[in-house]
Amino acid sequence: MRPATQWNLAHRFVHFGLLRAASLLVSGSQRAEWWREWRGELWHVQQAFAPQCAGSWRSELEVISFCLGAFQDALCVRSAGRQGRPRFADIAGTPIQCLLILLVMLGASYAAALLLPGVRAERSLWPRKVNPNLVLIQQEGATDDSQPTISPMEFGAWEGRKQKYFDGFAFYRITSERVDAQLPSTGSQGRSTWAVAHASPNFFTLLGLPIQFSDLADPSLNTSSTDSGQISEVILSEKVWKRDFGADPHVAGNIMQLGPRMVRIAGIAADGSLSLPGRVDVWELQPDPQFGAEAPGFVVAHLTPFGAAEMWTQCVHITANGPGNSEEGFLGISLEEWKPAPGTLYLFALFLALLALPAITSVSLGECSLNPENTSWTRKLYRWSFLTAKIALLLPIVYFVAFDLAYGCTTFGRERAVYIQLVSTFAMCLFGLCWVLKDQRQRCPVCICSVTHPAQVGQASRTFLDWNGTEMMCMGGHTLLHVPSQPTSWFSSQRWLYLDTSWEFLFASSTRPIP
Amino acid sequence: MAREPKFPDTKLSHTAAMILQALDAGFVYGFSIMEMTGLPSGTVYPAMRRLERDELIRSNWERQSIADAEQRPPRKYYKLTAAGKSTLEASRKRYPLLERLIPTEEAKTV
Repeated sequence: MRPATQWNLAHRFVHFGLLRAASLLVSGSQRAEWWREWRGELWHVQQAFAPQCAGSWRSELEVISFCLGAFQDALCVRSAGRQGRPRFADIAGTPIQCLLILLVMLGASYAAALLLPGVRAERSLWPRKVNPNLVLIQQEGATDDSQPTISPMEFGAWEGRKQKYFDGFAFYRITSERVDAQLPSTGSQGRSTWAVAHASPNFFTLLGLPIQFSDLADPSLNTSSTDSGQISEVILSEKVWKRDFGADPHVAGNIMQLGPRMVRIAGIAADGSLSLPGRVDVWELQPDPQFGAEAPGFVVAHLTPFGAAEMWTQCVHITANGPGNSEEGFLGISLEEWKPAPGTLYLFALFLALLALPAITSVSLGECSLNPENTSWTRKLYRWSFLTAKIALLLPIVYFVAFDLAYGCTTFGRERAVYIQLVSTFAMCLFGLCWVLKDQRQRCPVCICSVTHPAQVGQASRTFLDWNGTEMMCMGGHTLLHVPSQPTSWFSSQRWLYLDTSWEFLFASSTRPIP
Repeated sequence: MAREPKFPDTKLSHTAAMILQALDAGFVYGFSIMEMTGLPSGTVYPAMRRLERDELIRSNWERQSIADAEQRPPRKYYKLTAAGKSTLEASRKRYPLLERLIPTEEAKTV
């Protein structure tokens, strides 16, 4: 191959490469024709400059400057194509706009539920399984439920005997201890006094409290970790985890000093699953001999099926033999309480909102005055499908927004979060459904677009002589909507007025297609 | 019935008027207009897109058989519309030197 031919091929490759790069700026639908025109023109340009001199930089620059102009043309074609596209303002009032806004809201609320640390933590604690048939045993004469009354000796005596009514006992005792911890939320060494519950190894197993264990920790905490090593393992309360560790999901495995000893965080216990007496910041599982003989604590027991059948009320009297075979009276208080799951709470609030809805708005869709000749089955189906789609999008939005509000802020306790979720779900369901119905009533039955340009017609003083209300029009030129400001016996609800072809000239530029 | 242009009273820029004048003078594809007017490709082609959008010119592809016979790619030819012609007349009054810069065939013969 001659050098001149190679030179030409290389240059042509550059020219085509430039045009190809410019063609990428053009939209796909126009690219083929754009490329065809510029390729044809380039051929003529190359032919025009080729005879002058092959290898001349001047002619080469001419061809390259021609190719560079293709970028400007491509941008021009691209911007012209964009102007032809429907803009968001063009779909104002249409069902598409309404559904798009709802979809964006749904996406935003779901994204917030995924990102907010409090919500993530709450979701990670699902499902919450609490063992039924649990009772807290206390001395019969105890006046204050929050004060411990059972000695470790009594607990040891019960645990060692075969029981008819109970098949498991757990003990815990609360002490105040100084804690030194490296707090990940602040990155600084934190020092404070926590309420430490020293519990029997089977405590969480008996209660069935949900705990997140790290990979470092052994989930079966029935055997004490102090037996296997120097560092024992502790379970943080959810409140401390959120307050002092910023709901850090990677907190498990951290080492901290609890009193005179080093402990490793093994997991997090959910607050509020059971209302146990005493405020507890951290749970330390210890073997029985370490409880000490004197200090009293709390005893939680699990009822056998026979015991559960005998328990008629929330509180029962129990007679038990003490360590010296002396009979003593005790009270067994049921620990079961109603704690709804978020889904149950949501359905309950939705049910309440549906009950309350007719009290604040009419549930009519304003279709009673529709002209049956103008409303085909397809249009009715389209209208009802749109209503269903709005409700179907609204309900998950309410669920996620209420959940974000309730659990988004980690400073709220779970008790408060339940109420926040209930109230916000109820309010959003009520007003959301109210909006859905109102929006549906103000959509043209022909094109399902919102009616606009409200105009006050008539005077309030002439309500009983002539109609007085608001008139709105469909921008597609299909209908007028008349809404009475004060319902009367002859004009009780809104009416649709269908516009005939004589009105078309008014809406020539904005007529919308009928779906 | 002839379709009315989108912008019948459009006042053209000098560049657009030159392109219309070149088209009227018989330079009917992009590169020939570039050569005639001395305008760069980055000006001529976008201007022709806008003129076509405003329905002052229209384009059509050369038949493939003609291009094949001459062993070259087909060209896209441009032509003045009726609206383009009337706009060009108005532009000539606005830019009197336009006809001297790019004389039409009739002007040449006269």
